[in-house]
Amino acid sequence: MAILTVTFIIPRLMPGGAFAYLIENPNISPEFREALIRQFGLDKPILEQYALFLREFFLSGNLGVSFYYRKPVMSVILDALPWTILLVTGSTIVSAVLGMLIGLIAAAKRGRVFDRALFNISMFFRSMPAFWLALVLLIIFSYYLDLFPLYGAYSYGRTYESIFEYIADVVHHFTLPFITLTILTASAYSILSRNSAIDVLTEDFIITARAKGLPERTILYRHTLRPILTPLMTMTAIELGYSIGGALMIETVFSLPGVGKLMYDAILMTDYPVLLGIVIMTSAVTLMLVTLVEILAAIIDPRVTLT
Amino acid sequence: MSESGILQFLNPLLKSGTGIVGLILIVIPLAMALFPQYIAPYDPYKRVARPFQQPSLVHPLGTNDIGQDILSELIYGARISLFVGVIAALATVALGSLVGLIAGYYGGLVDEALMSVTDTMLLIPILPFMMLFSTFMGRGYINIVIVITIFAWPGVARYVRAQVVALKTQPYVEAARAVGAGAARIIFKHLLPQIAPTLAALIMLRACASMIAEAALSFLGFGDPIQKSWGTMIYWARRSGAITSGAWWWITAPGLMITMTVLGFAHIGYILEEYYNPRLRRY
Repeated sequence: MAILTVTFIIPRLMPGGAFAYLIENPNISPEFREALIRQFGLDKPILEQYALFLREFFLSGNLGVSFYYRKPVMSVILDALPWTILLVTGSTIVSAVLGMLIGLIAAAKRGRVFDRALFNISMFFRSMPAFWLALVLLIIFSYYLDLFPLYGAYSYGRTYESIFEYIADVVHHFTLPFITLTILTASAYSILSRNSAIDVLTEDFIITARAKGLPERTILYRHTLRPILTPLMTMTAIELGYSIGGALMIETVFSLPGVGKLMYDAILMTDYPVLLGIVIMTSAVTLMLVTLVEILAAIIDPRVTLT
Repeated sequence: MSESGILQFLNPLLKSGTGIVGLILIVIPLAMALFPQYIAPYDPYKRVARPFQQPSLVHPLGTNDIGQDILSELIYGARISLFVGVIAALATVALGSLVGLIAGYYGGLVDEALMSVTDTMLLIPILPFMMLFSTFMGRGYINIVIVITIFAWPGVARYVRAQVVALKTQPYVEAARAVGAGAARIIFKHLLPQIAPTLAALIMLRACASMIAEAALSFLGFGDPIQKSWGTMIYWARRSGAITSGAWWWITAPGLMITMTVLGFAHIGYILEEYYNPRLRRY
């Protein structure tokens, strides 16, 4: 339902495609522009263009040609997308699990030092711009301590003996960006799971479990964990938009070759087709991930029905 | 706001430790924004020392790549950062409330159409949209305010709509309708005043999001290159090689100010929200 709405709205939000291509761009020659105009039928009426754009997008995934890379926008984005998806899904999974555990412990110690400290620390991290946390970690750990590389997702120009060496190199490059994003999202998850766990802890079945003489630990990890998974899943769906936005900024800071960096470069080059393509693709990927989370939620909690 | 209005607003804040912390965190940048000429030790646009100096007694936060005093830059930068954050928050809440009031009051098809747009915009990452629109509109802080407002209203609209749906079946609203009050009169004279207190809390919380969005857009270079905001300072710091020369003071100071101010708005927002909506109380 939501996906249908989006595919309806997004092309409408775009200024007709034509607007973007006709903006004066010193990087492209008049002939190239003429060719683009003919290729995309920009000399035709706006409604026909709109139909043409939709047909191109839905039939062949065509989003136009990049001014700067002189390649189809789709292939430029698909080159960058895996890095971003790796960063976002990886840190989402880790921070959801981490946040859930921290939240549970805070709920068990409600009102005590750990709980209050958690609340204040989470608020503090959530008040930071993502790119700034990235810059601070970068200057501490890469410049002063020299533990991690200053930029990139792998060492440029290096040859690898084996695939494992390549993976190790990528992991080394990804550690800081990953930690940055995880700190920011884990804060939100821990607050949410704390609040839901406190609601659950006042329910009758918990009192029953206590009356049976079950140890607190069992009550916490067996009886409380499952009911808070559903709100956590819903939260994951909502958090994804924030995560992807954060990832774009963090990639820019760390010069990871993902969508964020691509978008930053596209802004500098005023490469409108790439910009438009990224907006469409990030929305599409987010909705796909949200749908995936909803399916997972339905598997975990039978009370949730798919719409 | 009348004098008693301000007192009413401050009262819940002064009753809690968090509220007082929040007020202190806001008063500092507010003073910087209002009277920079009395607080700043130097002219932030003048070259006053050697470039890339570490923090010292003469220059507590060091100097930048062209020898400007960073503390003075920071103090002068407060005005634009706060201005953009607060104006964008006000505009966002105004637009969001309007959509929420209309959707909640009319219901039916209008409601469904507006809410499907709202829900979609809440799910998708709005930062790429903001970046795209900023590229179209060009640099400048007014454009940043406009871009933030265009994409930040859906959260407000959802919140306001939920309240209006609960309010509109109240007897006093029905009475107003029975004596022949029009839709506009009911919405603005009867519904809006009821939700106004919670809107104050929303403005504070939206100011947080707006300030972070402003910082991000300025950091990407969408700010006005001549006027300085905290985000723009970080933009220049990164462009001028603050990372590769290890100038941690230049990066840290403006970001810390953003974080502190946002934290202050968040504290005040949450306290006000709890005060006017006691069901949310955490402890």
